[in-house]
Amino acid sequence: MSEVASRRRFVQALVVGAGAVVAAPLGSQSAPQPSTPMSTDAYRPVLRAAKPGATPQVTDEQRDALEHRIKCQCGCILDVYTCRTTDFTCSTSPAMHRDVLRLIAGGYTEQEILDAFVETYGEVALTAPKKEGFNWAGYFAPGVVLAVGGIALTVLLRKWRAEAQLAAVRAPIAPGGASSLPGVSADDLARLDRAIREEA
Amino acid sequence: MILVGELSLWIALLMCAWSATLSFAGGRLRRTDLIVSGERGLYAGFGFVVLASAGLWTALLTSDFSLRYVASFTSANLPVIYKISAFWGGQAGSMLFWCLILGGYAALATWVNRRDNRVLMPWVTGTNALVLLFFVATTVFASNPFERLEWVPADGRGLNPQLQNPAMALHPPLLYLGYVATAIPFGFAIAALITRRLDAEWLGAVRRWSLVSWVFLTLGIVLGMWWAYVELGWGGYWMWDPVENASLLPWLTGTAFLHSIMIQEKRGMLRKWNVTLVVTTFLLSILGTFITRSGVIQSVHSFAQSSVGHWFATFFVLALVATVVLVSMRLKDLESPAQLEAMISREAAFLYNNLVLVGIAFSVLWGTLFPILSEWVRGTKITVGESFFNAVNVPLGLLLLALTGIGPLIAWRRASVANIQRQFAGPATLGVIAAAALFTLGIRELYPLMTWGLASFVAGTILQEFWKGIGARRTMYGEGVPMALVRLVARNRRRYGGYIVHAGIVILFAAFAGMAFRKEYDVTLRAGESTTAIDPFGRRWTFTSEGLSEFKALNRDVLTVALRPTVDGQPLPILTSEKRQHRDSRGQPTFQPSTEVGILSQQRQDVYLVLAGAIGDQAEIRINFNPLVAWVWHGGILMAIGGLIVMWPPSMRRRRQEGYVAELAPQAVAVSA
Repeated sequence: MSEVASRRRFVQALVVGAGAVVAAPLGSQSAPQPSTPMSTDAYRPVLRAAKPGATPQVTDEQRDALEHRIKCQCGCILDVYTCRTTDFTCSTSPAMHRDVLRLIAGGYTEQEILDAFVETYGEVALTAPKKEGFNWAGYFAPGVVLAVGGIALTVLLRKWRAEAQLAAVRAPIAPGGASSLPGVSADDLARLDRAIREEA
Repeated sequence: MILVGELSLWIALLMCAWSATLSFAGGRLRRTDLIVSGERGLYAGFGFVVLASAGLWTALLTSDFSLRYVASFTSANLPVIYKISAFWGGQAGSMLFWCLILGGYAALATWVNRRDNRVLMPWVTGTNALVLLFFVATTVFASNPFERLEWVPADGRGLNPQLQNPAMALHPPLLYLGYVATAIPFGFAIAALITRRLDAEWLGAVRRWSLVSWVFLTLGIVLGMWWAYVELGWGGYWMWDPVENASLLPWLTGTAFLHSIMIQEKRGMLRKWNVTLVVTTFLLSILGTFITRSGVIQSVHSFAQSSVGHWFATFFVLALVATVVLVSMRLKDLESPAQLEAMISREAAFLYNNLVLVGIAFSVLWGTLFPILSEWVRGTKITVGESFFNAVNVPLGLLLLALTGIGPLIAWRRASVANIQRQFAGPATLGVIAAAALFTLGIRELYPLMTWGLASFVAGTILQEFWKGIGARRTMYGEGVPMALVRLVARNRRRYGGYIVHAGIVILFAAFAGMAFRKEYDVTLRAGESTTAIDPFGRRWTFTSEGLSEFKALNRDVLTVALRPTVDGQPLPILTSEKRQHRDSRGQPTFQPSTEVGILSQQRQDVYLVLAGAIGDQAEIRINFNPLVAWVWHGGILMAIGGLIVMWPPSMRRRRQEGYVAELAPQAVAVSA
């Protein structure tokens, strides 16, 4: 493969990659936005019949933690708990909070409540994507990239170190040169150099 | 003046096109007359952008509501300071502001370097003029602040109440100063690639400009955190909002560059990597601007959707492709001697530090764009919020913190075992003791424990370096400790300024970990009623309500609640929180009600009061105890101070001395021979 051809492939790959990255946002930009900041009609009731003989299975602390995992749908980027306790103007988060209370009173568990919100609003109801399917790419990609980068960097550094060692070995056996390594004669180094060259 | 401003913008457009064309032609043909004309074109372009800015400021200050921008972002009763800051409060004005800063930077870079780097400078000027041309063109054609309305309204809509905060008068300019400064190193990198002058020649200027960018970005980000904390009312300072992320991305890659450039300076290595980092930092600032302005990602900061997004996307792709082509054409020229004596060396530590910084940048970018990717691949919208970013980035942040301590203590080229033992024994012991002590005191949360342990270790390494340096000066010159400290830093600004930056990082991380222990209380109080709360340090607080009250201020109606706090029986100053309804000069409400939080800031924690609402005479109140928040601001300021020390130029006397020594050196060699 010539240098020019490999360069062309390198450039092509990058251009295609960049195009893909940029095309995605442009595509979604032209799509209608689901909600604008402080959308007042974003609330949808999450209705479930109470379980027979229902008793609440979620404590107040667990409820607050649960509401940290549900995203307010008013268009802000806050979770239900934070939004309802700090934003007086939002009518969506208090309504979603009431749904949470109703579901707790109906005997639903934390996971069942989360599932009910996802059924009503879609996955956008969660503050973090579910750990399943394609979403794993979201969680793992940074770690994978870092691990691959770490391995690649370590390999590269070892290669550089090997080159440095080779250069150090070769340097003393230049014509007329004497060994700079203590206890090693120029003849020894010359033999070592020949052996390395033959192996290579 | 307004008409002059409007026309000036058009003339600036022509001047930038002129400057770019003649600078490139001059560089190519090596004709001084063209080069000088290109430089003058850039100065003129900047001058006309200044005139255009003066025109817009005049319109804002005189409330000329015939301009859509003025009517959209100011009102007659808006305080003067916010009329001035409304310049960057909206899309079109902030675009012009960007042009103003970029023009200033580009003109300054050309002026300062016009006699040096004669081969590089035409290409630097041309590239900067081209980038400025893009911004001016986007301002003129896609987001023009001089666009007129068909009728003149009696009053304007006013400025968003959340932007009526002193921090917002400073935060955007500082952030822009940081963002825009990334364009200058980019110009130098492109020039170096075109001219094949990829040795150390371009590095000096690039390093200075990168430091300028880094310091301003640091200040801008920290001030933005402060604004979010005091103004948005949700009790925190960092939300991993896409726009916050957009500011963090170039900061991360810029920080990586400021470390890896040292390896190129010392060892001549990493040419490819350093060019890549310079270019990536600039491209990330453009991508960040695209994210902010296109409306493509939901954000509390988003400007309205407009065609500006398409302009930025196009520019980003063109710049990326041009850069990739240029780099690929110069791969051979970018070859550099790459030899490493030992795996345990400062070079290796800095490279792993680069890996972690770029890894964090990738994870932040990935998390920011993942909702788009998910919708593209699965057709399903998702939210990537705080919990995702924390899960991914906290471990990386801890790794970075550890490397902050390890890197500077390892010798260049090769570190011996004895060297490592000598350097790390003290700080490592300090870190272990700190973690053990905190564990004994009852702290069981893993990440805070690790953070404070590592922070103690890094603080130990920094103190040790200062202690050794001060000790050496005292021995050599007999100086007192304060004088030795001052001279130590002054004589080696890069090294000790860097340590001060690291100290800021340590403080920042320790403060971040404090938020793991925040406590929240939701209470409802009538006048005279009290509530008690226990803070994270186990102290008992009592808050007694003074009741709700209403009053009118300059441009708003205010509902306020006042609480009288005592801690362990000791009275403290009254805390108030407000709900504000802003109104225009005719009394009409503008925007939705906003919150002003009450903060009692102490070194150990902030008591953070939010009036969430009112039912009759009852106030619904949220009280937060936020540990160590004050140290976030201290850490940020210390980082910026350290950055300023690093970039501060050496005194003229020292430069003369260095030159004198350099002149003497050959003679000294000849004499000794």
